[in-house]
Amino acid sequence: MAGSVLAPVPASTAPAAKSRVRRSLRSRRTRSGLLNGAPIVVYMLVLFVYPILSTLFLSVKGVHGGLTLHWYADALSGANLAVLLTTLRISAETSLISVVIGFLLAYAVSRLRPLWAGLVMLIIVVPHFISALVRTYGWIILLGDHGVVNSVLVDLHVPGAPFQLLYNEIGVIIGTTSVMLPYTVLLLYAVMRGVDRRLLAAAASMGAGRLVMFRRVYLPLVAPGLVNATVLSFILCLGYYLTPALMGGARQTVVAALIDDEVMKQNQWNGAAALGVILLVLTFAGLSLLRLARAIGASARQRGAA
Amino acid sequence: MRSQRGSGPGAGALAGSGKSLSVSGLRKTYAGVVAVDEVSMEIEAGEFVTFLGSSGSGKTTTLMMIAGFVEPDSGVIKVGRRDVTRLAPQKRGLGFVFQQYLLFPHMTVAENIAFPLQLRGLSKAEVRRQVGQVLEMAGLEGYGRRRPRELSGGQQQRVALCRALVYRPPVILMDEPLGALDKKLRDQLQTEIKKIQRELGLTVIYVTHDQEEALVLSDRIAVMRDGLIDQFDTPRELFERPRTAFVADFLGAANFLPGRLENHTDEHSLVRLDHGALVRARPHPLAPGHRVRAAVQPGRLGLCAPADGFCTGTVETVTYVGTLVRVGVRPAGAESPIRLELPAGRAPVTGEQVGLTADPGDVTLFGDEEGR
Repeated sequence: MAGSVLAPVPASTAPAAKSRVRRSLRSRRTRSGLLNGAPIVVYMLVLFVYPILSTLFLSVKGVHGGLTLHWYADALSGANLAVLLTTLRISAETSLISVVIGFLLAYAVSRLRPLWAGLVMLIIVVPHFISALVRTYGWIILLGDHGVVNSVLVDLHVPGAPFQLLYNEIGVIIGTTSVMLPYTVLLLYAVMRGVDRRLLAAAASMGAGRLVMFRRVYLPLVAPGLVNATVLSFILCLGYYLTPALMGGARQTVVAALIDDEVMKQNQWNGAAALGVILLVLTFAGLSLLRLARAIGASARQRGAA
Repeated sequence: MRSQRGSGPGAGALAGSGKSLSVSGLRKTYAGVVAVDEVSMEIEAGEFVTFLGSSGSGKTTTLMMIAGFVEPDSGVIKVGRRDVTRLAPQKRGLGFVFQQYLLFPHMTVAENIAFPLQLRGLSKAEVRRQVGQVLEMAGLEGYGRRRPRELSGGQQQRVALCRALVYRPPVILMDEPLGALDKKLRDQLQTEIKKIQRELGLTVIYVTHDQEEALVLSDRIAVMRDGLIDQFDTPRELFERPRTAFVADFLGAANFLPGRLENHTDEHSLVRLDHGALVRARPHPLAPGHRVRAAVQPGRLGLCAPADGFCTGTVETVTYVGTLVRVGVRPAGAESPIRLELPAGRAPVTGEQVGLTADPGDVTLFGDEEGR
């Protein structure tokens, strides 16, 4: 972002380029553009570029000065590696479950009349505006051994009740899924609303049953939304801290919690920085995966055409 | 009637797939309002039938009931001898061409056309062969790999047409398929649709509000109004023997000349028009003395010397429309001019006194209060 704003400043010393810059700087538009752009450039430099660069620097700085990859080796081995894998696992589980539930929800809403659809969307999205802390405690109250869910299950004499629904992976997944759901529903709903239902009528007129209609017409049309929703919720999950910390057990420690622990308890900034950079890289990897998926989709279509 | 040029490439394999269709007592109401009222008709195999009417006439609702997208309140729909009234659209096996094309945007042209064939479990080679065949027939060779959005509206509708006929449905339904295209393209596609329909012997039911289009395409036209069929006949019969004033008006914008039924001869009914002229018309059962309207198409009126016609008037307007002239002649004492369509070579001059002639067989009488 900052790079593109700064881009016009040339590194070349060629006279032609120099005179072009001078001419460009003489123009009113360029000067007022630079003036208007300056605050945001400064803002981004101070609050975005500088912290990231300093984090990068911290993550490779040795205890006694000099550069080292020690912190990365540390972050990617032993218990820390396990935490990283846990984070990936929880993110994958959450994004898959929230996309499946989000798909069903969004589909149901997209079939409602506009007024009802708006109302239901409001109900789905409003919790998102409530503090995640409050929501998480809400879940804790609901899911505890003597919480509403378990009391009902016990009263119904469900075998095995009360279940352990907190301080384990189930608890974390329930919590994070509820946080991600508004995103996936919103994304999928927008895509589904854009699908021309008459295409399904066209498919029916040619003899397609419901299953074929869904598989060959509806699903391909909403597929981009599914990919987007999966990757987005995966990325959001990667750096998510609160719910896993409050609703998970020791085995559900995620990278964000580990960073918190290193900084707040061990005052170990270098290790924390390395973990942060790894999260950042994973996020970029997720985004690249999204682009890759799109490219594969496009080329598959090309091949299908050939 | 087969095309003189014979079958197009590969047409033989697709030919003769059309079946008959019968509709009886079809009725549909929406919230108590009658949309289609007891519509019955027999459509023969290989026939091109058009439902013609303005919006709200029930033509589209009738088509949707035949397709299965709208469930009738009562009535029976049969394709060939098979009763399909309660079947889901996908079980009827009909073809449908929509006004909005509705090609699948995520598939190529070839994949779109292959879709119904794949549903029918044809082998890959067979699908490819048949897709190639219809693409060639529609003049779309080389477009198979394109996406629908890369094609023009006319091309998209050609693809939609291919997709609807490639699996040889017994009846193809078309809902204003050319409604979104411009005039020139519409004319061109009309010719193509008609040619393909004839060559393959397709049974087509076509919905339109454009009477010219209906006349060009159809073997028979069902003129619909308020959920009822006013008349179901060949274009010629509709023109020459309109059964209702609405049909006469809708199909040719007929002149309606008010008058009083004066007398019946053996062959004609005589009408005294309000501005004094006496005109001979096709016989009408009403008794002399009744108020009637004499309907005559602008193209069926001729000019003659002032004294020779059934009435005399002054030429008010002369408008050239291509090879035709539209002429307005106002008889003395008439409220509005009588409209004529003449070959451009026979145009009169404005202000000229002329006589009007009409073959009595072209003048149809309607009772004044006659609704239908």
